[in-house]
Amino acid sequence: MKTLILGEILNETLSSGTLEIIKKAQDENLDFQVITIGSGDAPNIGSESFKQTYIKRSSESLQFGNVTDLITKIVNDEGINLILGSSTYLCRDLISFISVDLNSSPVSNVIDFEINGDAVSTINSINGGESLYKSKIASNHSLLLVRPKSFEPADVELNDNFETIDVENSDVAIFDIYKEEKTGPQLEDSKVVISAGRGMVDKENLVIVEELASKLNAAIGGTRAIVDAGWMPYSQQVGQTGKTVKPDVYIACGISGATQHQVGMKDSKFIIAINKDEEAPIFQLADLGIVGDTLSVIPKINQNL
Amino acid sequence: MNITVCAKQIPDPANETSYDNGIIVRPEEQVLDDTDRYGIEVALQLKEKFDAEVTIISMGPAGTMKGLQQALQMGADKALYVDDDSLKGANSLMTANVLSELAKTTNADIVIFGTESTDGYSGTVPQQVSRFLNLDCISYVKAIEIGDDVSLTRQTSEGSEKVKMPQNCVISVTAGGVEPRYPNFKDIMAAKSKPIEKVELSTLNITTEQNLEFMSIEALENSKNGEKITDEGEAFQIIVDKLKELKVI
Repeated sequence: MKTLILGEILNETLSSGTLEIIKKAQDENLDFQVITIGSGDAPNIGSESFKQTYIKRSSESLQFGNVTDLITKIVNDEGINLILGSSTYLCRDLISFISVDLNSSPVSNVIDFEINGDAVSTINSINGGESLYKSKIASNHSLLLVRPKSFEPADVELNDNFETIDVENSDVAIFDIYKEEKTGPQLEDSKVVISAGRGMVDKENLVIVEELASKLNAAIGGTRAIVDAGWMPYSQQVGQTGKTVKPDVYIACGISGATQHQVGMKDSKFIIAINKDEEAPIFQLADLGIVGDTLSVIPKINQNL
Repeated sequence: MNITVCAKQIPDPANETSYDNGIIVRPEEQVLDDTDRYGIEVALQLKEKFDAEVTIISMGPAGTMKGLQQALQMGADKALYVDDDSLKGANSLMTANVLSELAKTTNADIVIFGTESTDGYSGTVPQQVSRFLNLDCISYVKAIEIGDDVSLTRQTSEGSEKVKMPQNCVISVTAGGVEPRYPNFKDIMAAKSKPIEKVELSTLNITTEQNLEFMSIEALENSKNGEKITDEGEAFQIIVDKLKELKVI
């Protein structure tokens, strides 16, 4: 099946989400090429084992319309049937736009997919990972948004073997770009993640979580409830509509464990949960559950590390 | 200025979602998706500055219309909705098709969304609507500054970027981007007399089809039966020991 993988660059190389999809495409023996979207000069994103095209945005304007036109044209010209992207800000945008051009609804939050001849079927995780939802795509084009961490990343040697296409500017000028300081461990690849929920009671109390995180060299996440409450940015949300993490150790502080949260962390290797409510669903996932007040337990851990 | 906000009525998220043949079961009484409160708030802030009319558009079983009422209570002026059995289980593209057509009937200059619904969470509808309407899409807006111009700050994987809001565009607003207002008693009473109008699907130009066939739902066994210990003041030690055992420290 002719396949297009939408790629992204992160930390001066192909993002792990992109490499994960490449691995799956290799395992399924798909006839795939990669189109990577970025701005500025690309690092080594090419390879001897697949075709790579770099769509180079300028940092002066939003060019989604023009980028979409380019990709749709390639899909049509080359008879591509399967389009894969990681569930990131950029790929969600692009696959949505392309779905309108191709008149085929995309499938979001895919954790696995199967190819049988011309048929593509997808698997989603629903109810916080308690159930798997399978569906079959009945159209010429299948567009899939794959949750990060669904597959192992491919181990490919990258080089400068790729073509670059420049994109025309649009009317929507970008007048300020802010790069988030990526100091300290990042949620997606940290070995230890500490997440906070409503049980932290007040935003001010997050300092104890921050202290623990710095002692354990851990990344900090949060539930949708506290992101909605403005205690943390959207980019730190763990769960259904946020990030998926699979650290060696996940410490859930004052998190009840709504299914929407579980889907983002249930595959962590070792889960420690601290919550006052002994009936909280998080305890079903926990390897070690402490029924108690997070606000009293965490400071004591901090003092004893 | 006409501002149109897409809002969705969803089953109370406090309850577990149940499915019938792959389709979410929707009770008569559904509530406004909290995600949409951010989009409505942005619309209302723009209205305060630019004297706009704010219209809510929605698709799905209307039921008691509690969710639509909640949107009007925040301060939107009126609501339009499509409720048609043939849309049951509609995929995201069809949903976007219907909402785009509804947006056209409102002569919208600006169409605003949350980033993804809490029940379906496909997270693709705002972008699809922008493509249907051939408008620029400013997605994942996490901050808005309203002066003579409006600037929107978008979340990106590397940080954020700031753009000037075009005259005509589609915007999706992330949770936490603004502080949604709470209606007071007066707002709640005022909402009761605001118009809510049903639009017949047959009057809209629908060009999309269902392309996703439901196959199965399979339950998984997640429960780990891990250790559960009640803290009597010393539980921190158990965690510290465990962290040592796991070689985290």
